[in-house]
Amino acid sequence: MGDDTRAFGCERYAGDLAELALGSLAGRDRARALDHVESCPRCAEELEQLTRVADTLVQVAPEVDPPMGFEVRLFERMGVTPADRSHRRWRVPRWVPVVAAAAAALAVGLGLTLTSSTAPTVSAPARTHDGVVSAPLVEHGETVGRVAFGGTQPWMSMMLADSSARGTVDCVVVTKDGVTHHVGSFVARAGYGAWIAPLRVAPADVRSAEVVSPSGTVIATATLG
Amino acid sequence: MVRESRVAEGDLSDEALLAGMAVGEQSAAVSFVRRYQRRVFGLAYSMTGDAGVAEDVAQEAMTRVWRHAPVFDPRRGSVASWVLTITRNLAIDALRLRRAVPTDPDEFSGAALRSGEHVPEDAVPRGDARDTVRAALGVLPVEQRRAVVLAAVYGRTALEISESEGIPLGTAKTRIRTALMRLRAAVEHAEGARDG
Repeated sequence: MGDDTRAFGCERYAGDLAELALGSLAGRDRARALDHVESCPRCAEELEQLTRVADTLVQVAPEVDPPMGFEVRLFERMGVTPADRSHRRWRVPRWVPVVAAAAAALAVGLGLTLTSSTAPTVSAPARTHDGVVSAPLVEHGETVGRVAFGGTQPWMSMMLADSSARGTVDCVVVTKDGVTHHVGSFVARAGYGAWIAPLRVAPADVRSAEVVSPSGTVIATATLG
Repeated sequence: MVRESRVAEGDLSDEALLAGMAVGEQSAAVSFVRRYQRRVFGLAYSMTGDAGVAEDVAQEAMTRVWRHAPVFDPRRGSVASWVLTITRNLAIDALRLRRAVPTDPDEFSGAALRSGEHVPEDAVPRGDARDTVRAALGVLPVEQRRAVVLAAVYGRTALEISESEGIPLGTAKTRIRTALMRLRAAVEHAEGARDG
């Protein structure tokens, strides 16, 4: 680690990083080590790598068949009713995502929900406390999804539900100077999809976002400002 | 056309299933449970050595995953890591509450190694970090393996390990750190070999 190590005082914390990664460091030692990691990119990276290995250690346990009836008891507890158990293939669910988890986590962070069973509503753009701007995607006057923009390294997320989008569609944004920018293409399955991508324009400059079919028809629009 | 509008449940990623659960899709929950129940129960059983306790732990873990799916953050790690860490923490709580005796870390390691069903050098071509770590665990000195398993799986602090193993605190810390560094080196080596 050399001079950088001395500059950051890393050698004092070298022994703590492993325990920090394993989650077994406690009290003041943990607080001190975390303080150091926050200000030391080298140790932060080291901690990330060690944490990845520590997490994998929990995963090496053997797989074991649960006792008879486990699944039935579990579904009852979860309030879940399995469909035809012999049916091992099922319809593409309405939430099939491209990068769904990221978008779902984001949506939750924004307090967004999308369900097809509720009556569609159209609401105004919203700005969250961390500067993220979101707006409904509207198709023929009905909300069919949501877009959000934000980040110091700008990103854009989009979720569609019950839209008429099918197959590969384009996402474009129109900036306040009237210029259209292509952000990316993604696959909407049966009108549903979730997607997140880097944005190459400043979120504050975005006037609207559109979902566009391959033929150039605008399927849905979100107006931001 | 029906065939085109359907996908096998195995085609969906863990993240996709969890995203479905986050919006209340029961079909996603069913698939997720079927995909993970053997791993979740396996971890709980490996730690507690008691099928009844393990079932309680596994059921609670799956229920929490279902309930908390919306807060899963993929930037913080994989779905498997999240689910199995929830399971591990519940198993630790169950052991403490019931004052039960956890399985010996050697038994845990032995079961993990047997489940690999291959020799360490096979780990690289298989390309799974679990295989690599499992294989590397198998070649660690036994005292280091015990220390790192006690810390990573059973949530023991270095002080607790020093007491249970009858060794100085500094030795416990060294064993934990050395073991984890060796495992990391094995993972890096495997990744380097894969990347060419």
